[in-house]
Amino acid sequence: MKLSELLQAVEAEVLWSDPAHDATDVANVISSDLMSDVLMMDAEQPLLLSSLVSDQSLRTANVVGAVALVVANGKIPPPNMVELAQELGITLARTEMAKFEASVALGKALGR
Amino acid sequence: MEPLQLTAEQSPLLFLELLYKLRVRDVMAKDLVTIARSATMRDLKRLMQERKVSGVPVVENKRLYGIVSIEDLIQALEKNRMNAPVSEFMAPNAVTVEENMPLSIVMSYFNKYDYRRFPVLNASNEPVGIITARSINSRLLMELFRELARIENQYVLPVDDNATCYFKTYRIQKADFDNAGKASTEIKNVLRDRGIAAKTIRRVAIAAYELEINLAVHSDGGTLTFRADEDEIQIVSKDQGPGIADVSLAMKEGWTTANEWVKAMGFGAGMGLPNAKRVADEFHIASALGVGTNVTARFILPKAVPTPPASLPAAAVPGA
Repeated sequence: MKLSELLQAVEAEVLWSDPAHDATDVANVISSDLMSDVLMMDAEQPLLLSSLVSDQSLRTANVVGAVALVVANGKIPPPNMVELAQELGITLARTEMAKFEASVALGKALGR
Repeated sequence: MEPLQLTAEQSPLLFLELLYKLRVRDVMAKDLVTIARSATMRDLKRLMQERKVSGVPVVENKRLYGIVSIEDLIQALEKNRMNAPVSEFMAPNAVTVEENMPLSIVMSYFNKYDYRRFPVLNASNEPVGIITARSINSRLLMELFRELARIENQYVLPVDDNATCYFKTYRIQKADFDNAGKASTEIKNVLRDRGIAAKTIRRVAIAAYELEINLAVHSDGGTLTFRADEDEIQIVSKDQGPGIADVSLAMKEGWTTANEWVKAMGFGAGMGLPNAKRVADEFHIASALGVGTNVTARFILPKAVPTPPASLPAAAVPGA
């Protein structure tokens, strides 16, 4: 499924995105606040859903090759995170949905 | 003795800087062995044997009267005058240096005068030490080692068009969460530029990141070194403490010493080292309490299979 469609599924507000990402096919979602766990998962080009707002969630996303980080629970990433997203080339978005709701919405959109 | 070749034109700047920075008092031997003028040459012989010195300043009431050396002792032996007082054989006008002098001046003294040792005087002209080639050597070596270690940690091999090896060391500060992960990001970019397969990049980046986070979380600060060759990639993490009490425990999944603050950052689940080991082809860890921890993660790159030019008939390719 296209990244743009997944972002719509969680009614995400996009804070920074690489226009080339919109058409990127995303088949995996990692939903976690524990970056240690995210680093253990073998999912190709995932979307990372997390309620952890920190530079380290973006750096972890970068290390595991994620295309996008969606911040859940209505949290607002600070401006320096938006800058880092741009630097790392990772689409950064936020949603008002709770992490569970957002997980369910993403799962449904992916037909799981 | 061959004069020391130390000219400003030929010496590296760092070395000259060191010679100006170090003062005589930093270099001199402070446990000064002295003798009185009235002592006999026989006393001097015993003193030299006991204290293993070859030159002794003649001092009384914190005043320097001269210096007497092993050469003077040989003279006394030859003349069979071992019971004569030291004052008869000493060199009364010893060349001295001041404790505040930069080392560079003393080095020039060794060339200028034919002496092997210079008594050191403080501002009140009291003898406070002695400087010899040996004391200079050991101190200079120590300073040079320290300086070399510092340079080594900064050293980056330039990547030119023909370079096959890339090497860089990053300094990771204790508890610096603002910068933790920057080295791994850069390592990932370098690997991408080198055309490494995405799956390998991911494994290397995970190990680098886990080790980098570990340095920031657990160590008193250390270095992360990244080396990429044609056939392998290495990530080496080194720190100077505090060390791991039980390495086998630290390698166990879920075992952690991280505090709540680290956990709030999304780490400290006790998965860092096991995960770095999981993604690496080879993994070594060595640690000692009070010394530090060294971790090496190696990744073997598949050998590039040379593709034969399309125009060549298959039979002409060796092994085809």
